[in-house]
Amino acid sequence: MSQGPYLLRNQVIADIDQIDVYEANQGYQPLRKALKEYDPKALVEMVKASGLRGRGGAGFPTGMKWSFLPNDGRPRYLVVNSDEAEPGTFKDRELIEKNPHQLIEGMIISSYATGAREAYVYCRGEFLYGAAQLKRAVAEAYQHGYLGENILDSGFSLDIKVYRGAGAYICGEESALLESLEGKRGNPRLKPPFPAVAGLYGMPTVVNNVETICNLPPLVENGPEWYRTMGTEKSPGLKVMSVSGHVNRPGNYEIPLSTPLRSLIEDYAGGIKGGRQVKAIIPGGSSVPVLTADKLDTPVDYEAILAAGSMLGSGGCIVIDDQTCMVAVSARLVRFYREESCGKCTPCREGTFWMTDVLERMEAGAGNPRDLDLIRDMADNIAGKCFCPLGDASLGVVVSAMKYFEDEFEAHVTEHSCPMGARLYDTVNH
Amino acid sequence: MIRLTIDDREITVPEGTMIVDAAAQLGIDVPIYCYHQALGPLGACRICLVQVEKMPKLVTGCTTAVQEGMVVHTRGAAVDKGRKGVLEFLLINHPLDCPVCDKGGECFLQDYTFQYGAPAGRYDEPKIHKLKDAPINDFIIIDQERCVLCQRCVRFMGEYVGEEQLLLEGRGVDTVVATVSHQPMDSQFSGNVIDLCPVGALLSIPYRYKARPWNLEREESVCPHCPVGCTTSVTSREGHVIRVEGRPVAGRNWGWLCDRGRFGYDFGYVEKRLLNALVEGREMSAAESTRTVGRWLDAALTDRGPESVAFLVGGQQTMEEAYQVARFSQEVLPGSRTAMVRTVEGYLPSGLNGSFQDIERADVVVYIGGDPYDAVPVVHLKVRERQRANPGLKVMGVGAYELTRDFHGAKNFTVKPQHQAAFLAYALAQAGTKSQAVEHLASQLGTYVPSLLNPVTPEEIQALGRTLLESEHLVLLWDGKEPEMESVLLALRAAREDATEVLPTFGPSNWRGWERAGIPAHFASLQTIIDDAAQGKISVLFVVGADLLRDYPDREQARRALERVDHVVQVGLFLPEEVQLYHAVVPGAGWSEVYGTYTNMEGRMQVAMATVQPPGQARPLRTYLNSWAHALKKSFVLESEWDPFDDDSGDFVPRESLPELRPVTVPEPSPGTPPGSLRVVGFSLVMEGGMPSEILAPRVPRFPGRISPQDAARLGFSEQGGELQLEGTMGKISVMVAPDRRIPDGILALPYGIHGSPLNQLGEGASVKAVRLEEVSLG
Ligand SMILES: Cc1cc2nc3c(=O)[nH]c(=O)nc-3n(C[C@H](O)[C@H](O)[C@H](O)COP(=O)(O)O)c2cc1C
Ligand code: SF4
Ligand code: SF4
Ligand code: SF4
Ligand code: FES
Repeated sequence: MSQGPYLLRNQVIADIDQIDVYEANQGYQPLRKALKEYDPKALVEMVKASGLRGRGGAGFPTGMKWSFLPNDGRPRYLVVNSDEAEPGTFKDRELIEKNPHQLIEGMIISSYATGAREAYVYCRGEFLYGAAQLKRAVAEAYQHGYLGENILDSGFSLDIKVYRGAGAYICGEESALLESLEGKRGNPRLKPPFPAVAGLYGMPTVVNNVETICNLPPLVENGPEWYRTMGTEKSPGLKVMSVSGHVNRPGNYEIPLSTPLRSLIEDYAGGIKGGRQVKAIIPGGSSVPVLTADKLDTPVDYEAILAAGSMLGSGGCIVIDDQTCMVAVSARLVRFYREESCGKCTPCREGTFWMTDVLERMEAGAGNPRDLDLIRDMADNIAGKCFCPLGDASLGVVVSAMKYFEDEFEAHVTEHSCPMGARLYDTVNH
Repeated sequence: MIRLTIDDREITVPEGTMIVDAAAQLGIDVPIYCYHQALGPLGACRICLVQVEKMPKLVTGCTTAVQEGMVVHTRGAAVDKGRKGVLEFLLINHPLDCPVCDKGGECFLQDYTFQYGAPAGRYDEPKIHKLKDAPINDFIIIDQERCVLCQRCVRFMGEYVGEEQLLLEGRGVDTVVATVSHQPMDSQFSGNVIDLCPVGALLSIPYRYKARPWNLEREESVCPHCPVGCTTSVTSREGHVIRVEGRPVAGRNWGWLCDRGRFGYDFGYVEKRLLNALVEGREMSAAESTRTVGRWLDAALTDRGPESVAFLVGGQQTMEEAYQVARFSQEVLPGSRTAMVRTVEGYLPSGLNGSFQDIERADVVVYIGGDPYDAVPVVHLKVRERQRANPGLKVMGVGAYELTRDFHGAKNFTVKPQHQAAFLAYALAQAGTKSQAVEHLASQLGTYVPSLLNPVTPEEIQALGRTLLESEHLVLLWDGKEPEMESVLLALRAAREDATEVLPTFGPSNWRGWERAGIPAHFASLQTIIDDAAQGKISVLFVVGADLLRDYPDREQARRALERVDHVVQVGLFLPEEVQLYHAVVPGAGWSEVYGTYTNMEGRMQVAMATVQPPGQARPLRTYLNSWAHALKKSFVLESEWDPFDDDSGDFVPRESLPELRPVTVPEPSPGTPPGSLRVVGFSLVMEGGMPSEILAPRVPRFPGRISPQDAARLGFSEQGGELQLEGTMGKISVMVAPDRRIPDGILALPYGIHGSPLNQLGEGASVKAVRLEEVSLG
């Protein structure tokens, strides 16, 4: 059994984005193994057995998702979600920029398993370099016979196309992504039908996150039992965590699931800058509620973080130190959702707009005591009433911050200033 | 079927029904903005929140299908608060300019805010500003600030009509509805977005600032402009029609209109409207005119007998009026004749006449001769809707040019004019059926072999024949141009076991109704009267509603007829063409001014209420008939109103049993059109023919004629088109033409009834010399 890191081998092997280096480090061996030793069904079973869960945010079991595809003879597609635009999350970016062949190999294996003959990468519009790396790597893979007709004499054929989005966070939501990929406005679709039944161009489609698919080569190489040696029963395996905020070494870290948050922050990310204290942690990207410092011993896995009052989400861990103003954090993040709301449904479109104005007014010292109830009521009018999860996502931080740091919000509307004497931009290290 | 409980009441509805629709069946009103049954669920506005027991959150009633045993609450604290929240959100960026909004009083934003909204606003931040009062075409303005982004308009144009002319621009709170590339919308269905818009964001320009709902009278009516007979409601204020809206009829139609029907309501007020009688060049009162006409009639009766009197009915007359003419002819002038004014010569036996429900069930739809999009626009939408429901629907065209438009996998057989009946007979014969009727048809074809204008293989012709014979539910839309088609259609019905239904797309709109009222519909009846008149056998000719020179297929012959009649009396809304040929022109009352019944192309009778008074001296027809009878010292008592409805056939005119097959003439192997010539093909275009309208003027095509792009290039026209000089045996006219890729080389498609360049001066199917006009004037 090989030694880790598994997904972030680029951090230890120089130039692994080059195909010869990738091949020299067992690259494309798992693909040969998959094509030779597995039939598609067995591969799906293997993924099921591993317990791999989607790394795009919802943590849905990948093997189960694959087995939802109807067996009706229609063409199928694999679409890899590389739209990664959630504030605090930057793992997929490293995976495609630094080790594109790993994703391509994972895509070939996944397509073989799911019966797709065409696969797409939907790449975030701003990922110019990442998209270029992927395109180059796809071309190399064609040259080396890993893509195209009759791959490695297996009889299996696959084409991969890399598509760049146009700069919309909502296009990371799988159905908006499919609309955009079809050349339409990136608004989410009504579900059901789910993509597995009617996805790209109405055909059965698997949408998976970059990191999810990158798990395939090591999984095939090492087997599901190996995967289950890490993490918990329900959250087995590896996760790449993007750590940012007031830590000494922000960056992506590959951890076995259920590693404690404290260890992630202190051992991996080098602890809090300037010897300050943790005030709050956003453990799973900007869409999830904050955790307070007393939750630092929570293991990083789906269930434990949920029990602690938040979500593992996409694994974008934003660490906030004790000198940061939570009103400012909330205002900044709600503004992100206001800018990124697709505008389709009323509560998200208008609610994020209004709430941003109120929070920014409060932060600027022009709040008044009615604003707190107003925000709470507005949040209640948004929560659970939007068309897609983005609307609810906009509330994760602000609602939890108001709960845990109520005094800070109150001070803003009674004192008309920030008790922290701080503004977000002063404390963030660019 | 699914059983569920809504607000403590049980109901059983078909699977797939949305909660809002199930509730509606119980009379429970769940508010909606974005949902529309024809467009399907979208889930955008969130106003339709309801509570379903055992579901953790409120759900949108428009996107949630019913489930067995579901328990739904459409009101309650949580639901009401959710709706209140949505309304508050909708209003934060709303300009709140209801006092100057035409929609005020008929607006769902006002209504629901009244019902669920908060008494006072909590919003103190600056509002977003967007475009206000921006025209999106000649008829519609948009106020983006009032828009609730329900997308009905965008989805209707794109998904439903298939003419993507509106889109959402921008994102989030900056999202707006705009036209594609900021070009004016030119779809002939554009006006429907006004009806669809739940708020005052899309408004009618002609109706702008004309009234408030409390100034209005609204009457149920029927559009008179084409044989579809769309259901409308007519709004009037102080005796003027100021608006026409679509009127949905549950289970039957969605209330779509084409722009002709929606905006062409001003024909009652245009400058051309006849307000006084004109007798031998002298204006006089309508009453005075009746004495003169009575004298003419009296003289005719004494000198030449009732056989020398004839009545022609046309235009927009109601069934009741046609009935009055028929009765007058029979009772006051027994021996006189009646006919209806026709533009095309074909006839459809009522026994073959299908209904729109047949389109809803069709697996094959065949367009014969003309494109419904031009002639009967809303039928185009019905066929599209069928294709949305049944993507396997086959749409085919058999005509002198490509007839189908934007239908997936449509197949066209481009057949020379006057060859279409023979071609279809040939296709049926090729399909190898044992049917006697088809064999009989085939036996008349001799050695006829069709030559098509587009590349089609013999196998494809055979396949067409088979599709016609073997489809499960066949609907044919026929333009009535080739009279022989009647026999082909009868043979087809005889050869098939499954539904074979024909919908006539030809006018006049109400011809089937007049037929029921007793006016002969066959072209031959009309032709005999015209020919007799041309031979001087007619003394008094009444033309009711029609403009004979414009409508009759042979303009020269019609002119000869008018010239030889002693007294031609026109009752109509407008001055007819070449008015000097008429001895009396008396002002009639029309649509919206008289109550009456119209029969549409399904043979369905529909009532149109009177909304306003006729202007000036205009009188309803029966007033004239009564006083003419009086002048003859005869009594003409129309006892109580005639009821055209039949006990057995309900809304439909009774279907007669089918007539005998008549022979199909095999077309002469027509010589190719000589170089420099084009063959003329007529088609109905609702925008062009018929009633004048100042509102619609900008939409009347500047280049009504259509020629192939190659011919256009050969003639030296730009892509836009230009003026063409045509010379046939019957005369010389010039017409504006534009290239159209659906027209094959050598064909000139011309709408009927274009003012000033009438097709009936050249003749249907005629080969005419064509040159670009500039060259003429240069030479
Ligand atoms: C607003 C929104 C944004 C999302 N953005 C992403 C994204 O950038 N990348 C991603 O993989 N999944 C994103 N998702 C989740 C996807 O909808 C989808 O669940 C995921 O791609 C499935 O892949 P997985 O099963 O491998 O996690 C987003 C979801 C929402 C609601
Ligand atoms: S919640 Fe509504 S407005 Fe917001 S992104 Fe989703 S669909 Fe668009
Ligand atoms: S303009 Fe009217 S119909 Fe169109 S999206 Fe806005 S509110 Fe809806
Ligand atoms: S389709 Fe015909 S009946 Fe309907 S609105 Fe248009 S013109 Fe009137
Ligand atoms: S009507 Fe249901 S969401 Fe708009």
